[in-house]
Amino acid sequence: MIIKDYCLYCGACAGVCQVDAIEVKEVKIVIDEEKCVNCGICVKICPVNALEM
Amino acid sequence: MDINTDILVVGAGPAGSLAAREAARRGVDVLLIELKSEIGSPKRCAEGVSKSGLLELGIQPDPRWIARKSNGVRLVSPDQTSVWLSEDTIELPESGYVLERKVFDKHMAMDAARAGAKIMVRTQATSLERVDNGVIVTAIHMDEEIKIHAKIVIAADGPSSRVGRWAGLDSNTKTENMESCIQYEMAGVNMVNNNVIQLYFGSCAPGGYAWIFPKGEDIANVGLGVLKTHADRPAYEYLNEFIENCPETKDAQAVEVNVGGDPVGGLVKERCGDNILVVGDAAGFVNPLTGGGINTALESGVYAGIVAAQAIDDGDYSKKNLEEYVKLTDEHIGESYDKYKKAKEYLLSLSDDELNKIAHEFVKVDIDEISPKTLIKVLIKVSPKALLKLGKLF
Repeated sequence: MIIKDYCLYCGACAGVCQVDAIEVKEVKIVIDEEKCVNCGICVKICPVNALEM
Repeated sequence: MDINTDILVVGAGPAGSLAAREAARRGVDVLLIELKSEIGSPKRCAEGVSKSGLLELGIQPDPRWIARKSNGVRLVSPDQTSVWLSEDTIELPESGYVLERKVFDKHMAMDAARAGAKIMVRTQATSLERVDNGVIVTAIHMDEEIKIHAKIVIAADGPSSRVGRWAGLDSNTKTENMESCIQYEMAGVNMVNNNVIQLYFGSCAPGGYAWIFPKGEDIANVGLGVLKTHADRPAYEYLNEFIENCPETKDAQAVEVNVGGDPVGGLVKERCGDNILVVGDAAGFVNPLTGGGINTALESGVYAGIVAAQAIDDGDYSKKNLEEYVKLTDEHIGESYDKYKKAKEYLLSLSDDELNKIAHEFVKVDIDEISPKTLIKVLIKVSPKALLKLGKLF
């Protein structure tokens, strides 16, 4: 998963992640690639299209 | 560093701060932690709130956090037909004040501090483990790892909530229930009426609506939410298109951009477990029709604070003893959500043409005579499926 620089750290992706693989910090998003199942839900929910598979 | 507390509240939004305030007022030890360095910023919200709802919770209006008062709502159909509803004739949810959330949230946290709660900002919860008679939450404060031992944890960690899940609760939001939202705070907005909140329906925001909430003479929050089950592009593309096409916003300039997820699926199944309560957005306290959640977040926080403090007094932090919170929130908030959820389903079933027809019919009705009952009557006249979907609800 690629997180673009213009991500605004809102955490919508973490809220819908079904496997709890996304951690939202104040100015950083961390995706646990081991937990991630590449379902793409986070990519779809992002209001600004900041995630890419 | 190790910290012991009776109650740990994770997240200093409206729900967390009110939970901390209520619990601390009852004399128990409360620690409120907040991930961000500034409580309330950036906002993830259109800032509309019900005036009476605040008073009911003992929050006195303060000009420092009221950006503007609103006295009604303008509903706009896809062909730009306007339906005006006044606060005097119909009760409008989440209407009355447009807040300055950055100031409001801080004031709510300050009230919690005055009641005796301790607050730590820039403190991120990273994990939770259950121990005898409580939980240990690991958190990072600045660059230091701390272990917080609490008898009860109140999860107020917003739409991206993880604390509830760590505690084993089924509390996450399904994609089809998460509105993907974006908003600009804009200057130079030419509002037809800058004392009402405006909602634009139809294909401009599939699965949601677009809004213009006034914050000043020419200042407004302009945003929208879309559901990924209905939209085929990211929310920001819809918003840029809306701003270009809407006569009120086409010459306005953005001074801030806000984004976020808004959980509109109703209350999560599990709001309570042994040693844990979930409040605010984290528990789905958002009106499924309007997406507004400040009032209900505050209210859920109050109930959680009261119930948690009582449990500390009882020395019993079991799910059974905390279930009073579920009862209170079901009774005062959850029951109305079923009605709003049905209304939302109906709204989302309407095409742009149907929305236009309904708006044309509403325009004919004398504004002073509009009540929920007359609204439904007019609806049924023009849209027979309204009877099927809404008739029994209102």
